[in-house]
Amino acid sequence: MKNKSIFLLTAILFLMSVTSLFAETRIRCASTTSTQNSGLFDHILPIFEKKTGIKVDVVAVGTGAAIEIGKRGDADVVFVHAKDQELKAVEEGYFVNRHDVMYNDFVIVGPPDDPAKVKGLKSAPDAFRKIAESGIPFVSRGDKSGTHSKEMSLWNQTGIDPAGKEWYLEVGQGMAKTLRIANEKRAYTLTDRGTWLALKDIEKLDMTIVLEGDPVLFNQYGVMAVNPERHQHIKFKEAMMFINWLISSEGQQAIGSFKDAKGNRLFVPDASE
Amino acid sequence: MDSLIEGFRKALALIFSFDEKLFGIIFLSLRVSGSALMIATFLGLPFGALVGLRNFPGRNFVISVLNTFMGLPPVVVGLFLYLILSRNGPLGVLGLLYTPSAMVVAQTILAFPIVASLCHSAVVDVDPIIRLASRTLGATPFSVTITVMKEARYGILSAIIAGFGRVMAEVGAILIVGGNIAGYTRVMTTTIAMETDKGNFELALALGIVLLGISLIINLGLHVVQKRGVVGVAA
Amino acid sequence: MSFSLKIVDLWKGYNGNVVLKSCSHVFSGKGVYVLTGPNGSGKSTFLRICALLEEPDRGEVLYFSGNGPLKKDMELRRKITLVLPRIGIFNTTVFRNLAYGLKIRGVGKEEVEKRVDKYLEAFGLLHRKKQNALSLSSGETQRLGIARAMVTEPEILFLDEPTASIDQENTAMIERLIADMKAQGRPTVIMTTHDNDQAHRLADVLLRIEDGKIT
Repeated sequence: MKNKSIFLLTAILFLMSVTSLFAETRIRCASTTSTQNSGLFDHILPIFEKKTGIKVDVVAVGTGAAIEIGKRGDADVVFVHAKDQELKAVEEGYFVNRHDVMYNDFVIVGPPDDPAKVKGLKSAPDAFRKIAESGIPFVSRGDKSGTHSKEMSLWNQTGIDPAGKEWYLEVGQGMAKTLRIANEKRAYTLTDRGTWLALKDIEKLDMTIVLEGDPVLFNQYGVMAVNPERHQHIKFKEAMMFINWLISSEGQQAIGSFKDAKGNRLFVPDASE
Repeated sequence: MDSLIEGFRKALALIFSFDEKLFGIIFLSLRVSGSALMIATFLGLPFGALVGLRNFPGRNFVISVLNTFMGLPPVVVGLFLYLILSRNGPLGVLGLLYTPSAMVVAQTILAFPIVASLCHSAVVDVDPIIRLASRTLGATPFSVTITVMKEARYGILSAIIAGFGRVMAEVGAILIVGGNIAGYTRVMTTTIAMETDKGNFELALALGIVLLGISLIINLGLHVVQKRGVVGVAA
Repeated sequence: MSFSLKIVDLWKGYNGNVVLKSCSHVFSGKGVYVLTGPNGSGKSTFLRICALLEEPDRGEVLYFSGNGPLKKDMELRRKITLVLPRIGIFNTTVFRNLAYGLKIRGVGKEEVEKRVDKYLEAFGLLHRKKQNALSLSSGETQRLGIARAMVTEPEILFLDEPTASIDQENTAMIERLIADMKAQGRPTVIMTTHDNDQAHRLADVLLRIEDGKIT
């Protein structure tokens, strides 16, 4: 008797999971954890869905992984912030129709007493050099994300190779965890403004912005479609509808009107059309 | 400390407001893990019983492999499955990656060794005299097997419950193959991981409480089942 | 139509310890056969081989009914049965224990109910019908074992030490049940016991196993 009821229950559960496979039109967008965690998608996707009836499934991973997922054909659209990598992948023929969508910026944050004396500097590479010379810990994402690659290009400009240095901590985690670790270690780190703003009050981070506004810290977001010639199953038509909407005045307005819980505007739309 | 208590208060409020999003996530978790468990049971129970009751070359090796696989790291399963289900992978044409079905497959792989191995133990633990007795009464080899499995029913139920506990609490594999897509492949454990990342502790905590509650119910169920089994034999 | 059973030159050993050594005998005709013999003389092994539960190392067990030997198929196996000294109770109700042999023979539900009730009554277990069989006393357990075998209405019933570990009252009861079978001429009973008095009370034919042989 009991065995029978368990069987029935599981059979019902199984059937329900099968039926869910037949659903409305949906496309898959590979993006980054920081973009998703900012809440931007929760703001703009319902508007797009209402207009077109297309549901956008966001898979949020690191920038490197997002581009890789697109290359393998496991997504229809890629929405990330690593322009050099994006252009390279387009050149290699993996993606088509790349467009700038918006930008936010990176900031360097550290302990409020600023033991490395970074405050007052104007250039991000100078700040990095100062931190390296002081020996104060610096926490790196170390996860091949967009933020990480930005950090690496800054180190490159200083001529310092931080790998393996005692003060250089590679954590291999997302932005929020990296900030948390930096807070605990009283260290410096590079973060996108969105995650910083979202986290610093909720978690009472004992940290402050020590450098911002250097144009080299601007963080360009782009969107691109997976090349349908490489992957026939791609929903290219719907993917292009999504891209065209993002860069249309309506989509740009939606991005510009997005604010976090504290009322901070996190992204500046800058599509060229 | 204050933030923890405040978090709990908000979490409980969220649970008892029967928040639609929250219950959608809970329901999906149960659906995915329930399906995985059912498949794992359909495969694992006969497999475990067969290994327990039949002698064949390599039997001890199979048992060792099963026991080893009971501790399969979920992220490793997730990674292998990702590479297999990816469009570039051998089963890419199925288009299963980032769907609930992929999560079911991942959890089935995780639950199968547990169900099979514990069912094997349950069947082996049945007094050999049961087999002999059913043969004296004219049972065919198939009936003998069914009889032994019936005798092992409490152990088998424990095995299934243990498998359910494992998959409900698992996050590594389903995060990789499910993609944590909102409203589609986002389940309790992946939501907890993500909301914690975002610093959104209320929802994470609410789901944590529900998950603990489900684990508690599962374990109470297991306890009752085991107790019934013991009383039956001892009396 | 009754069965006869011919045992030819049986040999059986376990781990180099030879238990049966060229054991031969013919059981023909109805009645109660009682095997006695010292512990370890091979009585139980002999019964298990006769009941087709174990293969001998050498020699043959042949069943006859009418003319030629019978094939050792499921049909024959379902006409002979053995009650083990430890019974092997299924962890379910008394009723289901008895119904087991009938259900696997495909007997219909009503017929099962009727026949099980009849044997529960005869073995003094009707009031225990719905109880879990594992909760019975050792005497009741022994009776259940025999009832569970008898309900299948076998041609030959093997009983291995049916009264070894039970009290006098239950022993008397079981002896009376065996005496009833003897009176009805069905089934043929082949049993072992270490109780010589009991052997004399019950046996039509008294046999002794010694040194792995029937004498």
